[in-house]
Amino acid sequence: MARVIASACVNRLIALLSARSTSARLALAIAGLFLLAYLLLGAGLYYAVSQIFAQDLHEVIRLDSADLVEMYRESGHAGLATEISERTASPDDDNAVYELIGPGGKLLAGQFATLPADVRNGDGWTEFDERNADGVVRVVAKLQKLGDGSKLLTGRRSRNQQRFEVLVQRTSFYALLAAAGLGGLIGWITARWVAHRLESTYDITRRVGAGELALRIPEDDSDDSFDRLAKRINAMLDRIQELLDGVRHVTDHIAHDLRTPLTRLRNRLEEMRTEHVHAEQFTAELDAATAETDQLLATFSALLRLTRIEAQTAGANDPELAMQPLVLDAVELYAPIASEGGIVLDAQTVPCTLRGDADQLFQLVANLLDNALKYATRGTRVTLHLFDDGDAIYLIIGDHGAGIPAVDRERVFDRFVRLEEHRGSQGSGLGLSLVRAIAHRHGGSITLEDNSPGLRVRVRLPRAVVR
Amino acid sequence: MRILIVEDDPHTATFIAKGLAEDGHTVDRADNGRDGLFLATTETYNAIILDRMLPVVDGLTVLRTLRGAGNSVPVLVLTALGDVDHRVEGLRAGADDYLVKPFAYAELSARIDSLLRRRQAPSAETTELRVGDLELNLLTREAKRAGRSIELQPREFRLLEYLMRQAERVVTRTMLLEAVWDYHFDPQTNVIDVHISRLRQKIDRHHPKPLLHTVRGAGYRLGVRE
Repeated sequence: MARVIASACVNRLIALLSARSTSARLALAIAGLFLLAYLLLGAGLYYAVSQIFAQDLHEVIRLDSADLVEMYRESGHAGLATEISERTASPDDDNAVYELIGPGGKLLAGQFATLPADVRNGDGWTEFDERNADGVVRVVAKLQKLGDGSKLLTGRRSRNQQRFEVLVQRTSFYALLAAAGLGGLIGWITARWVAHRLESTYDITRRVGAGELALRIPEDDSDDSFDRLAKRINAMLDRIQELLDGVRHVTDHIAHDLRTPLTRLRNRLEEMRTEHVHAEQFTAELDAATAETDQLLATFSALLRLTRIEAQTAGANDPELAMQPLVLDAVELYAPIASEGGIVLDAQTVPCTLRGDADQLFQLVANLLDNALKYATRGTRVTLHLFDDGDAIYLIIGDHGAGIPAVDRERVFDRFVRLEEHRGSQGSGLGLSLVRAIAHRHGGSITLEDNSPGLRVRVRLPRAVVR
Repeated sequence: MRILIVEDDPHTATFIAKGLAEDGHTVDRADNGRDGLFLATTETYNAIILDRMLPVVDGLTVLRTLRGAGNSVPVLVLTALGDVDHRVEGLRAGADDYLVKPFAYAELSARIDSLLRRRQAPSAETTELRVGDLELNLLTREAKRAGRSIELQPREFRLLEYLMRQAERVVTRTMLLEAVWDYHFDPQTNVIDVHISRLRQKIDRHHPKPLLHTVRGAGYRLGVRE
């Protein structure tokens, strides 16, 4: 049973190691960090404890050595030799070792039958291995020169320290196994948890991709990364749906507004082919068909232009532009139309500067003037104001025509929307859409107001920052 | 006049070639950029109509190569890209004019005429334009018809000047807007027609022979021809 589990674990580990998935990497990273932390902590602790042991050992040896040197001063060489022989014969402490070394390196008294040459000839602190029946024991010792040319070796077998080291090594090994297992487990659990939290996001986006556009990822309002991700994706899905609805709406209108003239055109051509019309009538029919086609082409151009402008972003790189001459040019262009319709076109402008595209802004002013003049009642006044309130530039164009009912004021900006009462008149239904697109593209806004009676259009455009 | 059409869409190319041939031009055709460039550099043309999106070598590259080689033949670029940025890019590459698809043949024909004429016109400054009994003095800014002075607004003067410089040739509404008003935009209504009819009132009224003609489906023509 245990073997089966172990082999399953190993397989799992191999799968993890070979896997490139984020959760596998996450699990491995966590396990790795866990192990690293454990190793650092263990190594630090081991080093600190070893140091304490070593210091203690040295201290004991130093005291012991000082004791014996004192004895040498009091009772001389012979006394020291006797003392060492006694201590060696019946030791108080198993671990203490002594040796009196003669001037030629000859061992005079003590435990050792032999000593390595470098120890015999050395001085100060030394370490060497002692071989006896128990095996090999590490000895830490101090060599002290005595007055008559001989040397005293005082040392201790570091058996306790060795035992400690073995213990530490063994414990470390088991702890390492435990840490690795635990780290792996924590890593695995974390990876599982992350995967689980992403599971619903994954599932929902897959389903949305497959066409269920109304689905949204559940938000838990915890404001953690996952929740923010969910909110961001939901906002994105909302925007996509909005755009799709827009496209659908536009497609419907295109279908209607372009199909009608296309059908008319087709019927006209059909008629010309089947009915034997006179040459004169034939030309008239052809002219009408051409005019119809031109109108269609114009609508397409306007539509393409609108789409392009909508796709542009407000550019701080646009050149600075004097708005007044542009507006006056537009007023001059439309003045004859106004006077033909018996309308007074009254323009009040001041110099003001903004950043933008001259052609587009001219189109904006032209479209608004065109509308105002088209819908103004004969004999009334159309007013145009261009002013700068220090914060923004305003272009306000008012007419005294039929106006637009408040409920329709948002709707008229949509593509191809034309109010019922004007369906018969000339125009593509794209004029105001274009105006709004241009205003937005320049970072501005447009509002329709009641001019009691009539319509007042207020365009707000950001003024250029004077450098 | 000898004109090269570089256009990959066979229908458009045939349509243009037919129209130009009817206008009395000799037409060569290439359906990709490489052949177009080859013809343009080995033969002599009075004008080239160049589509922007071409197989093998694109239109702007052809144009830049031509200009780089010092060839100054008038080039009209055709494109489906109507953006202002694209227009500027095309003109910068060395195009003399730029026409956005879809277009009416009349527009293309008028623009080609204008291009050919611009090259033919003597470089010396003219101070007086004359069409029939209509005179326009560019220095004193006076207009006269049959010796009788005509009062003109500044814009009307520019309009008449442009029409007289293009005498006997069709000019489209778009050409007028670009040349006289200097804005590239799409007028919603027949605003140009109103300006023309006011100008017509001033120059043709009380005269048995009108000079300013409306060309159906295309634009206007100023000239003595009926």
